[in-house]
Amino acid sequence: MSPEKLVYMANQIGRFFAHQPEEKAVANTADHLVKFWDPRMRKAILGYVDAGGQGLQPLVLKAVLTLKLNVDSVQARTI
Amino acid sequence: MSLISEIDFGTPVSDAETTVTVTIDGFAVTVPEGTSIMRAAMEAGIQVPKLCATDSVNAFGSCRLCLVEIEGRAGTPASCTTPAGDGMVVKTQTGRLKKLRRDVMELYISDHPLDCLTCAANGDCELQDMAGAVGLREVRYGQEGANHFDAAKDQSNPYFTFDPAKCIVCSRCVRACEEVQGTFALTIDGRGFASHVAAGMDEPFLASECVSCGACVQACPTATLIEKSVIEIGQPEHSVVTTCAYCGVGCSFKAEMRGEEVVRMVPYKDGAANHGHSCVKGRFAWGYTNHRDRILKPMIRERISDPWREVSWDEAVGRVASEFKRIQATRGRSSIGAITSSRCTNEETYLVQKLVRAVFGNNNTDTCARVCHSPTGYGLSKTFGTSAGTQNFDSVDDADVILVIGANPTDAHPVFASRMKKRLREGAKLIVIDPRRTDLVRSAHIKADYHLPLLPGTNVAMLNALAHVVVTEGLVNEKFVRDQCDGDAFADWAAFVARPENSPEAASHFTGVPAETIRAAARLYATGGNAAIYYGLGVTEHSQGTTTVMAIANLAMATGNIGREGVGVNPLRGQNNVQGACDMGSFPHELPGYRHISDEIVRGLFEKDWGVHLDAEPGLRIPNMLDAALDGSFQGLYVQGEDIVQSDPDSKHVIAGLQAMECVVVQDLFLNETSNYAHVFLPGSTFLEKDGTFTNAERRINRVRKVMAPKGGMADWEITLAIAKAMGVPMHYSHPSEIMDEIARLTPSFSGVNYAKLDALGSVQWPCNDAAPEGTPTMHIGKFVRGKGNFLITEFVPTDEKIGPRFPLLLTTGRILSQYNVGAQTRRTGNATWHGEDLLEIHPHDAEERGLHDGSWVRLESRSGATSLRAHITDRVAPGIVYTTFHHPDTQANVVTSDYSDWATNCPEYKVTAVQVAPSNGPTAWQTEYQAHSHESRRIAHPAPLPAAE
Amino acid sequence: MPDFETWNEQRGGEIIAAHVQEEGAALPMLHALQEAFGYIPRAAVPMVASALNVSRAEVHGIVSFYHDFREAPPGAHVLKLCRAEACQSMGGDAIAAAAIRQLQIGWAETTPDGQITLEPVFCLGLCACAPAAMLDGKVVGRLDSTRLSTLLENVRQA
Repeated sequence: MSPEKLVYMANQIGRFFAHQPEEKAVANTADHLVKFWDPRMRKAILGYVDAGGQGLQPLVLKAVLTLKLNVDSVQARTI
Repeated sequence: MSLISEIDFGTPVSDAETTVTVTIDGFAVTVPEGTSIMRAAMEAGIQVPKLCATDSVNAFGSCRLCLVEIEGRAGTPASCTTPAGDGMVVKTQTGRLKKLRRDVMELYISDHPLDCLTCAANGDCELQDMAGAVGLREVRYGQEGANHFDAAKDQSNPYFTFDPAKCIVCSRCVRACEEVQGTFALTIDGRGFASHVAAGMDEPFLASECVSCGACVQACPTATLIEKSVIEIGQPEHSVVTTCAYCGVGCSFKAEMRGEEVVRMVPYKDGAANHGHSCVKGRFAWGYTNHRDRILKPMIRERISDPWREVSWDEAVGRVASEFKRIQATRGRSSIGAITSSRCTNEETYLVQKLVRAVFGNNNTDTCARVCHSPTGYGLSKTFGTSAGTQNFDSVDDADVILVIGANPTDAHPVFASRMKKRLREGAKLIVIDPRRTDLVRSAHIKADYHLPLLPGTNVAMLNALAHVVVTEGLVNEKFVRDQCDGDAFADWAAFVARPENSPEAASHFTGVPAETIRAAARLYATGGNAAIYYGLGVTEHSQGTTTVMAIANLAMATGNIGREGVGVNPLRGQNNVQGACDMGSFPHELPGYRHISDEIVRGLFEKDWGVHLDAEPGLRIPNMLDAALDGSFQGLYVQGEDIVQSDPDSKHVIAGLQAMECVVVQDLFLNETSNYAHVFLPGSTFLEKDGTFTNAERRINRVRKVMAPKGGMADWEITLAIAKAMGVPMHYSHPSEIMDEIARLTPSFSGVNYAKLDALGSVQWPCNDAAPEGTPTMHIGKFVRGKGNFLITEFVPTDEKIGPRFPLLLTTGRILSQYNVGAQTRRTGNATWHGEDLLEIHPHDAEERGLHDGSWVRLESRSGATSLRAHITDRVAPGIVYTTFHHPDTQANVVTSDYSDWATNCPEYKVTAVQVAPSNGPTAWQTEYQAHSHESRRIAHPAPLPAAE
Repeated sequence: MPDFETWNEQRGGEIIAAHVQEEGAALPMLHALQEAFGYIPRAAVPMVASALNVSRAEVHGIVSFYHDFREAPPGAHVLKLCRAEACQSMGGDAIAAAAIRQLQIGWAETTPDGQITLEPVFCLGLCACAPAAMLDGKVVGRLDSTRLSTLLENVRQA
C-alpha cells in the first residue's frame, strides 16, 4: 500500500478533528485509525513514520505514534 | 397457488377521522366521512357496476354505469362521485337501474370490437365483466354505425401496446398518469365522438413524455393498454407477491405466472412502499432474468487469458476452496476476502460476511455501499445513533417543506418521486440543492421554490451557510435542542456555524449561489412547518461525504425536524438491498446490527453461536483490498453480485488490483466486467429464483419469494453454503427463513423479525423487537437512539480535485430512469430503447467553445484516464459542469473518475472530477484495448463435438 | 382577412412571454398565438407547455378541445357554419352538406386553392336568425343554399 496514499488518508481524517483541542483531536484520529484501518495499513503507516513520516500533519503524526505505543490503550471514544 | 385478485374499491380511501353510517341494500356500513357510496358498498361486499372508476384515482363520474338510487332523493346519482352520508339509504340494484345500465352498456358495446375470444384481455377485461354484470343480451344499435374500429394501434413502447379501437375513453389512463405517476403525458384529444386518448401531442407513446411507469396499463379496464407479454403468452394462472430487485424503494409486486414463466410483474396495492405504483424498471424490465447471455453453468480457468471451461458445481466450488486455502496457507489468514452484494438478499449477504468472519477467519468483507452510502451509516450513527433513514415513505404526505439535496428521485427512485410530486402538487414547498436542473427543479406541475445550483464539491459550505442563517436569525428550535440534544455539543456547533466564514455571503464564493437565495431557502426550511430532507449520492460521494451527512443531521436537529411524521433525514438508497447489506454486517469493521468487531461482548455472542473464534481487528475495505493486492498481501476475492470494474472509481486501478490477485471468484448472472479478471465464475440466481428478504431505504424488510427454480441449479445462498462446506466449515440451513432466525437471534434491532411475521404483516421496519413488535416506521420519537442528539462540527474542506488550465470543467456522474447501476440487468431489456448509450451533458456555451454539436463524439479526459462518448448539449447543466451516467461498459465512465475518497469511509468522490472535453473521432485507445480484452476474456471453450457417424 | 405572420420561434416566444403572468394564461396565450399566426403551430405547443409548466399533452388537449383553435393555417377566407341545435332545427344540416359539396372539403379543411376554410361553430348567439354563419368575422343570418353560393362566389371574386 503506497505510503503517499496512507498519508493522504490519515491527514484527511486528522483534518476533520483538527478543530478540537489537540489532545482530543489526536485521540479521535487514533481511534478512527484503530477502528477502521486494517492492521496491515496501520503497520504500514507506522513503518512510514519510523522512516521519517514526512507529509503527515503534526496531530496526525502524534495519533499514529499512539498506535505504536499501545494500540489497545486507545480508549474507544466517540467523537 | 392461485391468481391474487385485489379488491378494487372504485375510489380512494378517505382519511377522515369522523365516520358516517349508511345503509346499502339493507346492510349498514360505517365508513370514514368522504367515502363514496361505491366504496362503502364494496366495503360491505357489494360491487356496484363501474367502468371509469378505480381506487387508484379520484372519482370521475363519466361512465354512468355506477348509478344508484338514494331514498328521498330524485334521480340516479353516480355512486363514485356521491359521498356516503349519515343515515343514507341506498339501493344499488332496482328495475330502473338495471335498465339504465343495460342502455349504457349497449352504447359502449356498439363501438367496441366483439373479438373477445381472441382478445389479449380475455379473462381480465372489466368491460367484458360489466357486460356480464348488467346482463347485456343484445345491442340494438348494432355495430354498423360510426365507430373507431379502424383506429391504428400504437406499438412504439417496447412493453405495451395502445389499441384505440378497444378504448372506451374512460380516462382512467389519463388520470393515472396525472394523479398516480405525475407525468401528465396523456390527454383526451378532441371532443365528442372524435375524442380519443392521446400521448403527448397525439404522438406515439415512445415519442411522448411517457416514462413507461405502467400506471396507465394498470388502470386500463380493457385491452386498450396491455402488456406485450400478455399478448404473447396469455393470461397468468397464479401469482406470488415479491419485492422488486431494482433501487432502494423496494416496491412490492405480484409476479404473475404461467407455470415457471413470468407473464407480467404487477405492482401490489398492499405494498407499503409503493401502494400499487411502479416504474419502468420494476414493472417491465425483468426480461434479463431469462436473457440468452445468462451463464447457467459454473466455469473455471487457470489464467484470465484462457477461455472459460464449463465444469460441475463440485469442481468449481472445490476450486474456490482449494485456491483460497492455498493462498491462506502461503500468504496468511488475512490474504483473502469477499464483497457482499447489495442486490442479493439479507440472508445471502449475512452468509457471505459469516463466511468471511467464521470460515476465512478474518474481517475482509465489504459491500458496494462502500461506494455509495457508507457516509450515511457513519454520519447518522455519530449524530442520531442509527445508520439509517428516520422515516417511512408515507411520511412525505405530512411534509410542508421538502429539501432535496444531491438526489434525483424522478430518475433514481421514481416510485417515491411520484409520491413526493403528489405532495408538492398539494402545496408543499420545495428546495432543491443540485448542480443540475433536475426534473424536480422544473417539470410539469412541479417547480422548486428555490433551486440552489451549487458547484460540485461544495455541499458542506452550503449546509453550513443554511445552518448559519438558522442560528444567527433566531430560527433554532430551542425547546427541541434543549430537551433532546447534547447542550454542549450544540453550543460548540452554534458558535462554529455562526462564524463569518460560514455565512451565506462567504459560502456564495465557493458554491456560486447568491447569498440571498441561500438565506431565503434556510428561512423556508426552518419556518415552513414540517421540513423533511431527502438526499442521495450527491451528498455521500464526495471527499467530505460523511461531513455532509453530519451537516444535514445538524440542520434537522437544530430546527427540531426529527422524531415525527413529515420531517426527518431520509437517505434515498441506491440498490434494492443496500440498506440490508449494511445492516447485515457487510462492512469490515462491524458485525450485523452495526456493532464494532472490537466489542468483546458482541463478538462473544457471535463466537458462541457460530462456534468459532473471531478476529477482533477490522478488515480491508474494497479500495484497500485492491491496494493490498498490488503489494501482494491480498490474493483471493469472492465477489457476489457486484461489478467493481464498472462501478468503482478509477477503473485502471481496480483492474490492476484484480490482475494482481491469484484467485478472483465472481458470482453473477452474467459475465460482467469484473469477471474479465476472474478465475472462477459461479452462476448466480435472480430474485425470482430464491426466497429471502430485501430491506429498503425506509428500513422496511420485504419478502422476496421464489417463483421458479434457480436456472443455474443453486440459489446464491446455497452457493455460499457450498463454499463454506468445501472449505471444511459446513453451515446448516435448509431454508433462508432459518438464516433470518439466526440474524434475529443475534441482532437486537431484528429480534422480532421472522418469516411468519413478514407473511402476516406484509413487511416490517426495523427496529423490530419486543419494544416494537410490529416495527418502527418513524425513529427517534421523543428521544434519539444514541440518547442525546449530537451536533458535530463540520468544517468545509474543499476537495483536492481542482480544475485548472488542463482540466477546466467539473464532471459529475449520475443515473437515468431507464437504466440501473452498471446496467447489467437493464441493458438486457427493452429499456435500452430509451438510453442506449451514456451521453455527456454539456452546456451550450462550453460546447460552442469546443466546436461541439449535439451528438458529436467527444473525448472526456481527467488525470486518471480518458474515454469517448457522444455529447448532449443542454442547459440542464451550468457552464463549467459536465455530467454523464455510468450504465454502459462501452463508455466506462469510471476510467475518468479519481481515487479521491471520503475521509471517514473511503466512499469515492464520483461527483467531482476535473476534466477536459474535446472533439474526437471515436473510442479512445484504452476503450479499444479494453473491449478487445473483454471480448477475449469471455470466450467459453466448448468440447469439440464428436464426429458424426458416417 | 388579416395577413398572418409566418411562424417563427422568437416571435412565438415573445407572444407567450407577454401572457405568461396572467391568471389562467393558457387560453389568452393560445388566442394571441392564433391571432398572430392564424393557427396554433405544433412547434408552439411545447413552448406554451414549458412556459405554463404543464405537459405538452395538456396543451394539446386544450388546443384540440376547442374548435376555434386551428392546427393548420387557414385559407384566405374562413366560413364558420353554426352546427348547434337551433340552427340544426332550422335546416343547418342541409346547408352544411351543401357547403361541403360545393367546396369539396371537410370540416377544418381548406380548399386546394387556399381560398376558403370551412369550420364548424357551436352557436353564434344568432339563434333568432337561424341558420347562421360567420364569414371572415361577419355574421350572416337566415342562410339558405342560394345565399351560401352567392357568399362563396363573392369572396372568391373579391
